[in-house]
Amino acid sequence: MLEFVNLTKKFGDFAAVEQLNMKINKGDLYGFLGPNGAGKTTTIKMIAGLLSPTSGSIFLDSKNLWENLIESKTKIGYIPDQPYLYDKLTGKEYLYFCGGLYNIDKKRLSKKIDEVTALLNIGDWLNKRTEEYSQGMRQRIVIASSLLHEPEIIIVDEPMIGLDPQSAFLVKKIFKEYAKNGITIFMSTHSLNVVEEICSHVGIINNGHLIFNDTIESLVQLKSRKNNNLEELFIQLTNE
Amino acid sequence: MKQIFHILKYKFIAYVKFENRFQLYGLTNVIKDISSFLVYAGFGIGSFFFTKSIIKFLLVDIKVGLFLLHQFIAMVLFIFFVAVNIGNIIVAHSTLFKSSDVTFLMAKPVKPSQIFLIKFLDNFFYSSSTLFIVIISVLAGYASYFHIATGLFLVLIIFNFLPFILTAGTLGVLILLLIVRLSAKFGVKKVIYFLVFLYLALLLMFFNLNSPVKLVNSVMHFYPFIDKDKFLVNLLPSFTSYLPSQWLSEAAYFISTGKFSESIPFIIYQISLSAGLFLFTYFIGKRWYFYTWLLNISLSNRRRIKKNQTGIISFQKQSILKPQVEALLKRDFLLFFREPVQVIHLLVLLVLISIFISSVSEIKFIGQGNFYLQTSIYLSFFLFNMLLISTLSLRFVFPSLSLEGMSYWKIKSSPVGEVSLFLLKMIPPLIVLMIISSSLGIITNLSFGFEFGLINVVITFISSIAIFAINFGMGGIFVNHKEKSAIRIASSQGASITFLFNIFYMLFIIIFLFDPVSSYFFSLTVNKPFNVHIFYVPLIIIITMSLLIIYVFSKFGYYALSKDF
Repeated sequence: MLEFVNLTKKFGDFAAVEQLNMKINKGDLYGFLGPNGAGKTTTIKMIAGLLSPTSGSIFLDSKNLWENLIESKTKIGYIPDQPYLYDKLTGKEYLYFCGGLYNIDKKRLSKKIDEVTALLNIGDWLNKRTEEYSQGMRQRIVIASSLLHEPEIIIVDEPMIGLDPQSAFLVKKIFKEYAKNGITIFMSTHSLNVVEEICSHVGIINNGHLIFNDTIESLVQLKSRKNNNLEELFIQLTNE
Repeated sequence: MKQIFHILKYKFIAYVKFENRFQLYGLTNVIKDISSFLVYAGFGIGSFFFTKSIIKFLLVDIKVGLFLLHQFIAMVLFIFFVAVNIGNIIVAHSTLFKSSDVTFLMAKPVKPSQIFLIKFLDNFFYSSSTLFIVIISVLAGYASYFHIATGLFLVLIIFNFLPFILTAGTLGVLILLLIVRLSAKFGVKKVIYFLVFLYLALLLMFFNLNSPVKLVNSVMHFYPFIDKDKFLVNLLPSFTSYLPSQWLSEAAYFISTGKFSESIPFIIYQISLSAGLFLFTYFIGKRWYFYTWLLNISLSNRRRIKKNQTGIISFQKQSILKPQVEALLKRDFLLFFREPVQVIHLLVLLVLISIFISSVSEIKFIGQGNFYLQTSIYLSFFLFNMLLISTLSLRFVFPSLSLEGMSYWKIKSSPVGEVSLFLLKMIPPLIVLMIISSSLGIITNLSFGFEFGLINVVITFISSIAIFAINFGMGGIFVNHKEKSAIRIASSQGASITFLFNIFYMLFIIIFLFDPVSSYFFSLTVNKPFNVHIFYVPLIIIITMSLLIIYVFSKFGYYALSKDF
C-alpha cells in the first residue's frame, strides 16, 4: 500500500530524514514513534505532498507518489498536528470548502458531511465560525474534513494533541474501525499508550533513521525480554 | 524607565541578530536582505537625482517660479501628512491592540503606560521607515539643488521634517484611541464610516479651497513676476497658514533662499505642535490605553456573535463551476468580505478613485498654451492613475499569497493542481483591477484625440497588469504564512521594497512617454496634425518590458505557491 525507498529529506546540510525504507500494508494501523525532532512530521509531510523528498521515493499502491501527485492526493486523508482553519468560515462552510477541493459533487458531499459530523459529534458547532472553536473542536473539524473524500490511507500527525478524554476515545475508536474496514492509517504520536492500545505495527525513528519497524506484538515481546515498560524501552532504543 | 530600556534593548537584539544571521536565516534570506538594502539605496539615490531634475525642470524649463514650487511642495506634504496619519491609525491598531507582544507584556508587571510608549515608538518607526528614506532622499535632492549647507539641511530634517511626521503619527494614535472608545458606545461600523466620511470631506474641502488648478492660473497672470513674495502669498486661502505642511514648506523656502532667521517662527510652530501633541497623547495613553485595550478585546468578541448569511455565495448552493474552482473562489470572497478592514480599505480607495475621476475632466484645459506644463500635468495624472493601481495592488494583491496562511496545508495536501491554483489566485483580482485601471485610462483620455487616447489606454492597461504582477510576485518572494493581518503584510519590509519597484516601473513608463506626449501637446499648441508614429518605438519598448516583468514576477508567484510548505 505505502512504501518508502531510500527516502531522504535534507534542509541545507541537515538531514531530517535519511534513507528511510519501510512498507505499510493495506489495513495496517501504523504507529510512528520518535522523540522531538526525529523526523516524524517531515516524513508525514512528504507523504501528504507538503514537502518534496530530496532523494528516494514514496510509492502508494505501487505508483510513485510524487510522480502522480494529484491522483495520489485523492487517496490520502491528511490530519496535521496543528489544526489551522479559516477563522472567518463556519465549520460547515469549511467542510463544504474541503469537499470541493476533492471535486465531490454537492449531493454526495452534503450526505458525507452529515455522516462525518455525526461520527465526530460536532453537529451543534457547525454553524459557528471556527474562530470560536477550542483546540479540540478544531481538531475534530480537521479530522472530519479528511474523511469526506473516503481516503484509502489516513496520515495523522499527533492526533491526540488538545483532545479531551472523550474526544481522544472517540478518535481512537474511529481509527480502529477504519483500519478494520481496510483503510490504512499511518499515525505519528508521542503517546506510547495510544500505540500499545490501537496500533498493529510500530516504527521508531530517531535522528532521521528508522531504528525499529515491526508488529506491536514484537515490540511487546522485546519489552518483556528486556524487563522494561514501554516508556523505558523507548528511551533505551532512542538513546542507543 | 529602566523597564522601558530593558524591553527596548531586547527588541533591538531580536531585530538585529547579527551574530548568527547566516545560521538563522540561510543564504537565501541573507541575499534577500542584501537585495533589499540595494533596492533601498538605489531608490534613495534615484529619489535624490529625480528631485533635483524635477525642481530644475519646474523652475528652469516650465518656469513655475519659487512660489508655485513651494506651494506644490506644501500640497504634496499635506497629502503625505494625511497618508502617514491614516497609515498610523491602521498600523497602530495592529501594534497597540492586536500584537502578541502586547498580550505578553500585559501579563507581566509592566505598567500599561510603558507598554503604550514602547508600542507607540515601535509603530511609528515600523510604519514610517520607507517614508523616511523617501523623504530624506527627496529633501537631500532639494537641499543639493538650492546649495543648502549641511548644517541647515540637518536643521531641515531634525527640526522640521521629524516633528512634522511625528505630529502626523501621534495624531493617528490619538484618533485610534478615540475610535476604540467611541466604538464601544456607537459601534465600530458607525464610527469608522463617520471617520472615512470626515477624512474625505476634509480632503475635498482642502482641494476645493486650495485648488491647484486655480492657483496655477492665478499665479500665471503675474508672469514673469512669479517668485515668492508677500503679494503672491495673498493668493493663498488663510487657513493654510495653520497647517504643518505649509510651515515645513515655508521653512524650506526661507532656508533655501538664505533667510534662515525668517524660517525660525515656522520651526518653532512645528516643534511646539509636535512636542505638545506627543505629551498630550502620552497623557491620554497613560489614562486610556489599558482601558481601550480591554475594550478592543470585548469589541472583537462582540463582532464574532453574528449571523453568517452568505446568500448566493453559500457553499451549499449549486453552481455551474467545477467544485474545486467554486470552493476556492467562494472561500476567497467570503474571507475578504468578512474582514471589515479589507472592505473599509477597498471602499476608501474606491472613493478616492471616484474623486480622481471627477477631477479628470479639467485636465485638457490646465496650462493651455504652455505645452511643457500641459505635458507635466498630463503625465502627473497618468502617474497618479498608476499610483492608485499600485496602491490597490500593494494593499490587496501583495498580501494575497501570505493570506493563504497556515491553513494552506489543506490546499497543498488536496488534489488541486498548482497551475489551477495559480490562475485562481491571479485572475479574479486581476479582472477587478483591470476594470478599475481601464476605466481610469479611458476617462483620463476621453477629452483627447482618438489615436492618442487609444495608445495611452493600451499603455495604462498593460502597465496595470505589470504592476499587478510585480505585487503578486513580490508577495510570493516575501510570503509570510504566519502573519494573519493583511495590513501588517502590506506595510512590511517586503511591501516597502515592492512599492519601490512599482515606483521604478512607473518612472520607466513616464520617461518613455515624455517625448511623444510633449510632441502631442506641442502639435495641439501650434495647431498642427499630430504624428502618431512618434509613439511606436516607446510603445514597443514599454510593452516588451512590461511583458518581461509580467512573466518574471508571475513565475515568482507560482514558485511561492508550489514550494515546500
